[in-house]
Amino acid sequence: MDDLTFDYRYGFKVKENYVFKSRKGLDRKLVAEISYLKKEPKWMTKIRLEAYDNFVKKSIPSWGADLSKINFDDIYYYIKPTDKPVSSWQDLPKEIKETYDKIGVPQAERDFLAGVSAQYESEVVYKSIQKELSRQGVVFLDMDSGLREHPEIVKEYFGKIVPSSDNKFASLNTSVWSGGSFLYVPKGVRVSLPLQAYFRINAERFGQFERTLIIAEEGSYVHYIEGCTAPIYTTSSLHSAVVEIIVKKGARVRYTTVQNWSHNVYNLVTKRAKVEEEGVMEWVDCNIGSYVTMKYPSCILAGKGAKGEVLSIAYASGNQHQDAGAKMIHLAPKTTSRIISKSIAKNSGRTSYRGLVYVSPAAKESKVYVSCDALLLDEVSRSDTYPTMKIKNKQVEVQHEATVEKIGEEKLFYLQSRGINKAEAEGLLVNGFIEPITKEIPLEYTVELNRLINLEMSGSVG
Amino acid sequence: MRRLIINLNNKKENNLIFDKSGNYLVFFKNLSGEFNFRIEAENVNLEIYGLFIGKNNDQFTIKTIQHHIVPNSSSNLLIKGVFFDQAKFFYRGLVRIEKGAQKSHAYQKNKNLVLSDNVDIDSKPDLEILANDVFCTHGSTTGYLSKDEIFYLKSRGLKENQAKDLLIEGFINEIASKFKI
Repeated sequence: MDDLTFDYRYGFKVKENYVFKSRKGLDRKLVAEISYLKKEPKWMTKIRLEAYDNFVKKSIPSWGADLSKINFDDIYYYIKPTDKPVSSWQDLPKEIKETYDKIGVPQAERDFLAGVSAQYESEVVYKSIQKELSRQGVVFLDMDSGLREHPEIVKEYFGKIVPSSDNKFASLNTSVWSGGSFLYVPKGVRVSLPLQAYFRINAERFGQFERTLIIAEEGSYVHYIEGCTAPIYTTSSLHSAVVEIIVKKGARVRYTTVQNWSHNVYNLVTKRAKVEEEGVMEWVDCNIGSYVTMKYPSCILAGKGAKGEVLSIAYASGNQHQDAGAKMIHLAPKTTSRIISKSIAKNSGRTSYRGLVYVSPAAKESKVYVSCDALLLDEVSRSDTYPTMKIKNKQVEVQHEATVEKIGEEKLFYLQSRGINKAEAEGLLVNGFIEPITKEIPLEYTVELNRLINLEMSGSVG
Repeated sequence: MRRLIINLNNKKENNLIFDKSGNYLVFFKNLSGEFNFRIEAENVNLEIYGLFIGKNNDQFTIKTIQHHIVPNSSSNLLIKGVFFDQAKFFYRGLVRIEKGAQKSHAYQKNKNLVLSDNVDIDSKPDLEILANDVFCTHGSTTGYLSKDEIFYLKSRGLKENQAKDLLIEGFINEIASKFKI
């Protein structure tokens, strides 16, 4: 991976100071060692080892983005960080501070993102949230603590939605996972505040192989937010997460991701939710960063009247390839799904929408709506749409539409005639283009996302 | 402008090259195979209409490629299918706009009407766009006869079967009317 050197404008590094650092490369022994170091129960060790065998057996997907440059032997698979990163706000490069300024990240959050403070929270806010959550019986921990404190729940659901044999990267994640979130929402509980990884004690922030498990019991509601608009620099070039969500009868889960990894990262993520009767699953997925992203949030609509929705934004510039999309598997009657994808390609970036809609014979009176719009900002960029629809029954309504176009010249001309320069005008139009999705995410994120797009559009910081 | 009508069922040709400007109309019915429409001249207006009516154990596998190599041409594809019994329909469509093919317009649409629970439809309309000054859309719909429409026709005195036949005829007509030119 050494040949992948990128000019990452917002990148910064925190001095490495690790308690334990495994050797490069992966073998059975290391997998067992990780499990031992984490003092995990035997069944988890077994799951990890089985997953490792699957990882070795499976080949890299031949479709989609080019993954041939990943060197699996040149990656650290387990790093245990020290309690406090060694860094200070002053040590940060000027550019990154400026980026935070321009996006408008609050100081406390900046410190957290920059690794200056271990946690982003004011103690007071943090404690009151944790208190409120535990009063409601909500369990919100990092995955390792989740396994320690609630092994029976983890054992029941872990790997049931995304089995380790699902794909090579799911196998990899299952064998070496570390960090991620464990969220359990009891029956009938509605969590009013969007939950973010920040709120966890001693949060391991952005793990390389994070594993997230969300269980929403009957009639509950929760909104989980992952990532942030501010750029995240990482030295590890492979990020492979697995997210499993169980939406029980009548429950509703919304999962929002804003991904902005630095441009040297392969972001290969498996996200899947099982939705039971009358349940609602909503994925809001924004991919701005990384070198290559392959991510297709899925909903398995397993119960009558279940609903799935994916709202997706992808932005690719330079040599980035965003291969994003969605999967909707209709297995029960009266299920509905909606996929809305918006992508923007600039400066020889490439965006691909790849999706699957499967309507089984049992899924009578189901409805599917898919819409993909792509914007190409110059003649060197590329946009693809690869939808697949498999319909196995007659009582369905399936609609798919896609458009690819460039930015409207008249609109651009009009804005410029009003004294707005070209880059700003483009930013304005792009923000208008993605607005139907950004209005679905919390306001502070929308504001940051809009500024980030403007920043990306104007081509430089400052 | 010249206008050329091509019946793909008779033509027995999988690679169609359009290297002279003009209007072209290609149509076909119940045809399986891979068909490559390669546009190598500017100002080509290509219309492609396909109709599929699948009954019993009919099985159709068709792939179409609208390949724009030069600027300023347009292609418009519409494939409609009506499927009964255990009919199977596999459609792969690709619109590919090469880097130099600016100001291309390419449309691709697949509409299917399903009349039996045992029908198997697999539709995959893809787009690969390497130029930016283009307008490309594709769409795919699969549905069954609307109960409201059948109810309306029955309320006007038609029998259930007559109502269905009328609605199917209407669905097919969008294509069939082009054949008659």
